[in-house]
Amino acid sequence: MSKSSIPIGLLFSQSGPYQMMGGEMLKSARMAIDEVNADNQFDFELVPHLRDPAGVVSAYHTACEHLIREVGVDHIVGCYTSASRKQVLPIIERTDRLLWHPARYEGFECSDNIIYVGAAPNHAVVPLIRYMLDHLARDVFCVGSNYVWTWETNRVTRELVSAVGGSILAERLIDLGELNVEHIVQEIVSRRPPVVLNTLVGESSYIFMRALHAATLKARFTTTVLSCSLCEPELKIIGGNAAAGCITSSAYFESIDLLENRAFVSRWKDRHGIDSSPSVDGQSTYVSIMLLARAIKRAGSTSVNDVRSAAANHCYQSPQGPIWVDPDNNHCFLTPRLARSTKNEQFDIFWEAEAPQKPDPYLSGLDAAPLVRPHSTSTSPPPQQQRLRLLN
Amino acid sequence: MHDERELGIIRRQLNRLGVQIVPWGDGPPTTEADVVLLDADLFPIEQVPALPIDPTTPIIALVGIETPSRLKWLLDLKPASFLIKPIRSAGLYSALVMAFGIAQQRTEAIERIKHLEFRVKSRRLVIAAILYLMEHRKLTEAAAFALIRRTAMQRRTTIEELSAEIVASGGQVPLAIHPS
Repeated sequence: MSKSSIPIGLLFSQSGPYQMMGGEMLKSARMAIDEVNADNQFDFELVPHLRDPAGVVSAYHTACEHLIREVGVDHIVGCYTSASRKQVLPIIERTDRLLWHPARYEGFECSDNIIYVGAAPNHAVVPLIRYMLDHLARDVFCVGSNYVWTWETNRVTRELVSAVGGSILAERLIDLGELNVEHIVQEIVSRRPPVVLNTLVGESSYIFMRALHAATLKARFTTTVLSCSLCEPELKIIGGNAAAGCITSSAYFESIDLLENRAFVSRWKDRHGIDSSPSVDGQSTYVSIMLLARAIKRAGSTSVNDVRSAAANHCYQSPQGPIWVDPDNNHCFLTPRLARSTKNEQFDIFWEAEAPQKPDPYLSGLDAAPLVRPHSTSTSPPPQQQRLRLLN
Repeated sequence: MHDERELGIIRRQLNRLGVQIVPWGDGPPTTEADVVLLDADLFPIEQVPALPIDPTTPIIALVGIETPSRLKWLLDLKPASFLIKPIRSAGLYSALVMAFGIAQQRTEAIERIKHLEFRVKSRRLVIAAILYLMEHRKLTEAAAFALIRRTAMQRRTTIEELSAEIVASGGQVPLAIHPS
């Protein structure tokens, strides 16, 4: 019996400022598609149609329109930055297609035509800052690329640290792709903050991590770097010593000790070489395609309505553990984890949530009151006054 | 704005409405604008941009990103109206009408506040003038105030200005001829 063909769109930039992520995501998408096509439990095969907007924001719309109108796909997997997602959202909604969005993002969006497979802000930044407040410090130095992810991550950080009387020592932002970070490194060395929150992306981040490592060694002081985005392939680019010791929040690490993940990593290495590692966004792309294929199978059609309903609440045992789409907001239940990067370019996981956490894209359930530990209540306002305000 | 597609929609629709467009690409427009359309997503959020426009000129913000950090920035910008991106042909007219209406209401409110602030500040002078007349002309408080009001009306000035004159001149101000 021959399988029927289902075209799906892939929208990944293979050049430009985040080409490394786009490349990792494409590799993972192809791997997932090959696995689906070889698997007899699916009576169809996915035919990928790749469009490469080359990191140019305005090119995303044209690429997406082409996939929908010329190729005729119902489902597209892709986008990495929020700017690119905002570009395709109108046409996806207007033509009632479904975009499967693998990357974590800052939240505050919820479209019926997007399945948000990556971490929501309650999965990513909140556990990281809670850990910092409980175990590291109440004051943090923020450095990041000057765009929405950094702004929103810093805003949430400010909310949480101010609730316990801490502060943001500085907020240093540089343009996306900017490579001059020396002045920020010098400021960190002279002010010696206990913690540095790094929301730089791509090359800016790699250069910063190396420069900070060299400068702190020379000045003989230590600080802890926090990240919500660092992944194994990036640790390799930065270099083991400079990348080590970074506390990272993510739903996926290569070192997750689950049967599904060990098998996934092994298949990955068979395909891409023993020294290569899957990344958080790559794994999430793999999961997106698996969720899509399973939903098409359950729905018995590619119709957006049927597939969306079939995906809702349907649990998939993925490399990152059980994951399913929450029909309340089209984001995913997933398990947040915290890990420390090691010298051998891996992550040592030291915390994970007990169960997959409901996604909260608008952080409507965020309450800083539990952050105020009992011994500090005498000097703090009562908890009800410390509920997070939306616009602070 | 970066997006040619959205710019096209805005240009077409503004042309239909007879609105002259002055692009603000490389620098501020040379002509005085009646309304400013501004793509909120293009500005970094560290600070509200210093726009070289009259503060009473209404701003219509085009909004894509709805994160609280961006919305806080937007509030500080005090737009008179906004449009959610993607821009469609519908909505721009309502946004313009709202923006001009809100701008008018704001201007009126600012004028009214200025006026009330002046009156609040002048109350001390009015009281001083009343006390002066009560003492020197042996009037009741009500009669003293009535005299000031009548004189102000006759001289087509305000109670506050007349009171200031009375106090400053030590009562050497001709007051209303006919007592009530």
